[in-house]
Amino acid sequence: MLRRVVVCLLAIACMAGARGAWAQQSRPADERLGGCFDGYLDKAQTEQASAPQPGQPGAPAEIRIGHLHASSGPYASISMPVYLGLKLWVEQMNAGGGAMVKPFGRKLPLRLISYDDQSNPGTAATLTNQLITQDKVDLLIADSGSVLTAVSVPIAREHKMFLFDPTGTGAAFFSKDNPYIALLADPVSTVWPRFLWEFLKSDVAAAGLTRVAILYSTNDFTGTQAASIRAALKAPGSPVQIVFDQGVPTSTSNYAVLIDNIAAANPDVVLELGYVGNDIAFLRNLQESGKNFRMVFTLYPGIETSTLLKNVGQSGLAGVFSYVTALAYSYPPEVGMTLEQFRGSWEKAYAKSGVEFGWNAIAGYVTGLVLGQTLACTDSLAQLDVRKSVFSLSGKLKTLIGTFELNEQGAQIGELTPIGQIAPEGKDGIHFTVVYPPAMASGKPIFGAK
Amino acid sequence: MRRGVREFVTVALPLLAALALAPLFYSNELLLFNFIMFLILAQGLNAIYGFTGYLPFGYVGFFGAGAYGFALAVMHLNASPLLAMACAGVAALVLGVVLTPLLRLSGAYFAIANLAAAQAVYQVISNPALQDVTKGPYGVTLSSVFAPALSYGVALIILAATLALIAWLRNARFGLALQAIREDPVSAAMAGVAVVRGRTIAWLLSALIAGLAGGVFAWHISVFYPETAFDLSFSIFAIVFTLFGGAATQLGPILGVLLLYGLYNVIGITVPQYFQLIYGVLIVLLVLFLPDGLASLATRRGFRVP
Repeated sequence: MLRRVVVCLLAIACMAGARGAWAQQSRPADERLGGCFDGYLDKAQTEQASAPQPGQPGAPAEIRIGHLHASSGPYASISMPVYLGLKLWVEQMNAGGGAMVKPFGRKLPLRLISYDDQSNPGTAATLTNQLITQDKVDLLIADSGSVLTAVSVPIAREHKMFLFDPTGTGAAFFSKDNPYIALLADPVSTVWPRFLWEFLKSDVAAAGLTRVAILYSTNDFTGTQAASIRAALKAPGSPVQIVFDQGVPTSTSNYAVLIDNIAAANPDVVLELGYVGNDIAFLRNLQESGKNFRMVFTLYPGIETSTLLKNVGQSGLAGVFSYVTALAYSYPPEVGMTLEQFRGSWEKAYAKSGVEFGWNAIAGYVTGLVLGQTLACTDSLAQLDVRKSVFSLSGKLKTLIGTFELNEQGAQIGELTPIGQIAPEGKDGIHFTVVYPPAMASGKPIFGAK
Repeated sequence: MRRGVREFVTVALPLLAALALAPLFYSNELLLFNFIMFLILAQGLNAIYGFTGYLPFGYVGFFGAGAYGFALAVMHLNASPLLAMACAGVAALVLGVVLTPLLRLSGAYFAIANLAAAQAVYQVISNPALQDVTKGPYGVTLSSVFAPALSYGVALIILAATLALIAWLRNARFGLALQAIREDPVSAAMAGVAVVRGRTIAWLLSALIAGLAGGVFAWHISVFYPETAFDLSFSIFAIVFTLFGGAATQLGPILGVLLLYGLYNVIGITVPQYFQLIYGVLIVLLVLFLPDGLASLATRRGFRVP
């Protein structure tokens, strides 16, 4: 009897996560895409690329792009937008005849093979192997986030397959002895908070706010950011003092007691670093607690703005500091669509998908842009040539999220997000005022607003 | 015991030979490795559930302990992979000893307490305060010992030993004593069976097997996080595969793994959006209409399933 009950419960739990297929719609291709970078090849290079290349095999019927996504489980909220953003790019390219592939001197259609790992790292590992050994993909893209990316890193390396890493920001992935990886659409976790700690040590400290509390979720993404901030704030000569420093499980959904504990330490500044659900819970609990801190910073109001606004509300976000991503700061792209164009395409394609438009959707699209430029610039589809092509884009490729820049290990050190403060706009809306760095600032911070 | 040897030769050896040769014909070695790993876990669970009736929902705790036993030995002792494998087994055994008092519980209480214990171990391992020891929630990288071919071979050896153990348990006096305990511990005790000792040995053997599986998993995959090693789906899969095939047999869990994990991968690759639905419905139907697993199809008709 026990067996029946137990297994029936398990099976029902399995079914509860079932999801339907995602709608597919093609969008017209952006005409600016498709050329090799750096002037998208000058004329001589273009002619050279158009001619058959000596020693190159015949052109394949298609370019096979292998990818993993999670339609269910804890990482679905960050994985599905990346997947749909990438799919949108593939559909746009194919609607325009495919992507320019330099070794063959012509456009080739793209085929996206994306498997669903259901947020399970073991399944992600097996499917990565499947993509490499059975589907024999030409380009390999990891799933989103560090946990699901981690299992793909050694497999790709073992098979000498270059891994396009959209948003797996764990610093451990990038080492001098592994040439088969590059981080595309998020800055590596050790570098991402640079503007934040500079802001804390300069403008914030100058305003007399020197007591800082750090509350972070204990996962690779936010834990590494917390470690970087901690190291910077504790550096010799730092005017800032850390008065509270605690990690909590990523599954934390009630911050009421933690907020009381933070208040007891009497900080001027509270940094809460978590995933979307953590930030929503923290900001809701903070609003309910009635406690006020002179400055509150959280990650996701600037990353998944729509989701945060929907769940926390205008008043809960007002005065909060956050990263300002391309959602609120315009970077003129030299390749691909502008934010407004991309948002329009997304809304047409996925309005009924239930997946919110946000930073991760842009990250998926930018991953596609890097792939396109890589194909346009590579000498062959040999993986080290692919790597060389990706690295040739460093410092030159400017998309709607800023300048793509890699360090020698393949970690993303460009695309840094400035620091901004949220202010109410209209009845239900919000807008960001960029407050740091000075070169990008559009206004002054208002401390004590939260 | 001759029957035990015969069962091992007829059931286990062909399977082991097929898995040893499979990489020559199928290049997704990780998928084959996962089959081996789940075969080990299902048989390890069979040792405790099939022979004593204790269903450890937190079986993944031993698996995770083994994975971290391996990782800690490599990271802190610079141990060779084989020595680290021994540490993986020891880590799981130590945890098994610590959790032995749980055997005082039974049924759903044991299952829930065991699950809670596994979660407690997971929380300890992933505690940021232990970052210098376990790397906390930030995961471990064991690239210095990454050797997929060798770890595949070691996994096969562990599977062979596990299958031999199950064949022995099915036919030896000790295994029969365990089955007597499962059916009625009071009667078994009155007949002179050492109930506590028997259960404890089966419990520790089961923990050891899961620990070795965790160790070889850590070796093979080389980069993982606590949530990877303590993923509850390891427990769930091992339980479902064992129940589906038929517990207390050698062949049952093998069939469970080959059919269900095979189906899991076929569905997961071809129609992933329907995976949970198909898999869930299939399991419900099979449990409702075949509660004692596939092996019962033969045993109902008087055949002995090895």
